[in-house]
Amino acid sequence: MFTLLRIEFTKLARSRGFQLSFAALAGFVALMLWGFYTYAERKTGGQAAEQFRYTYESKSYFNGLTFALYSLVFSFSLLVPVFVAATAGSQIAGEARAGTLRMIAVRPVARVSLLLSKFAVVALHVLLMMAFFVGLNLLVGLLFVGWGDLQLYPGPLNLVDEPGRIARDDALWRFACATLTGTWAMLVVAAIATLLSVVCESAAVATVATIAIYLALYVVGRVEFFEQLRPYFFTTDMDFWRDVFKPQIPWQSLYHYASLCGAYTFGALLAAAALFDRKDIKS
Amino acid sequence: MRAKLTLAALCAAMLVAAHHFDAARERTVLGARDATGGGARLRLMTWNVGYAELEDDTRAHTSDLRAVADAILKNDPDAIALQELTGSDQLKVLLGYLGGRYRGAAARAAHTDRVEAVLVKSSGARFEDVPAGGRYAVAATFRPRADAPEVVLVSAHADAFRAARRREYTESIVDWARAHSGQTVFVAGDFNFELDARDESHLYTDDLKHDSEAYSYLLRYFRDAGREAGDTAINDRRIDYVFAPPAATTRRAEVLKDAPVGRMDHMPLVVEVGL
Repeated sequence: MFTLLRIEFTKLARSRGFQLSFAALAGFVALMLWGFYTYAERKTGGQAAEQFRYTYESKSYFNGLTFALYSLVFSFSLLVPVFVAATAGSQIAGEARAGTLRMIAVRPVARVSLLLSKFAVVALHVLLMMAFFVGLNLLVGLLFVGWGDLQLYPGPLNLVDEPGRIARDDALWRFACATLTGTWAMLVVAAIATLLSVVCESAAVATVATIAIYLALYVVGRVEFFEQLRPYFFTTDMDFWRDVFKPQIPWQSLYHYASLCGAYTFGALLAAAALFDRKDIKS
Repeated sequence: MRAKLTLAALCAAMLVAAHHFDAARERTVLGARDATGGGARLRLMTWNVGYAELEDDTRAHTSDLRAVADAILKNDPDAIALQELTGSDQLKVLLGYLGGRYRGAAARAAHTDRVEAVLVKSSGARFEDVPAGGRYAVAATFRPRADAPEVVLVSAHADAFRAARRREYTESIVDWARAHSGQTVFVAGDFNFELDARDESHLYTDDLKHDSEAYSYLLRYFRDAGREAGDTAINDRRIDYVFAPPAATTRRAEVLKDAPVGRMDHMPLVVEVGL
């Protein structure tokens, strides 16, 4: 198994997609920094309209932790899933398209082990991406925006019911926790992409199908007409990752949704394993 | 086969864990003390008695006032903040149905076809208009019991359609309350805050920030005493509030779901606090 993991990780690390994901996330941080910096300057400067002077438009609100939180929340929903789907979607279908799937499947290794080792490497990629992204945001926040306590208000980010504050050191631990919860939540997307990678013959189709399913449920879940359906979408359950940023972490709720995400992940993996075990490899 | 069984077992374990851990929050009334404890108590009610948006006349209907009076008498609040009355005439009818047990005043009408009103049991109550965002709220100053401290209840109704106006209105109300720092001020009414980003369908506006600013400003000086009571209007909205001074402790917060009649879209919120 370790040999399989080593081989799969080497393949992943050498792929362009792996490097591109980190480069794109770094580019996103740069873009966020520019937007955040100019917005903070405009809103807290002398010409400010002072519409939100008690909450958002104060110099203490615009600090590196706030920057990191906004950056993380915005990218988690719409940017990170793209790279996760691309990596996971290419695991089996990419081998099929390249004509190497038959060759690796005839080795004296169980197909399920092969699939699980590929998924484990994808999971490692997700963890590395999350850790890199969180670390980079905090570093950029510290260097270019400055640190302070993390201030939270009801409404935007949808984290608190009343104004709250998390002390700087505690907030840093929360970001570390968010790396883990974010990774766990994102494994749902990875598992679905792996399943589609088994079903589809093309990595592009598997990736696009995964992103399409994710975005469709994400968007539909935000439309009020479908409020009754919202609890049944895995995208709703994935949202638990940011509960760690609430001043009082709702542990029961967090465990509930984390378990549901785990059920989606292992369920999709089970289906992928069953299908891959019986797959007629023609390439 | 062993790997697949392991995956199946993990999937089942996750479902069992999800069932075991309840997603619902552990609800506790904020700042609640022992309900048997001593001290003066004050029971407040707020109710927007108007109709839903689709009706021809969305203001209160006089034909409903008997039912409104029955709900008030049944719950016996010390003071009531009402919204969307058509004017003083309707208030007189309501006070008549209440059999002289309450006194009340309607806010001065300004650029609007509906007014707020405040009703209190106390015979020595004083009423005054509260200028706020180009409109008027109305306040009553009274003693709920002879030995209780004097309190002020403001009945407020913020704009339903423009978040920026809601913010300006709320800031005016809070600033008015702060100017009466020597008294115990409660603010109750329909603020129309939309604070749940999941239900936000108007993207690319500052509405959430306006409402967040207004609500946060209120919470600088007040507690949201009815927060645990749940939704107060149709479509699962919590837009009616009772804001209490920080020292007041919530003993009961309840939304009376069976009280609305006709095509009312709000339910009354009853809050009992210890002073």
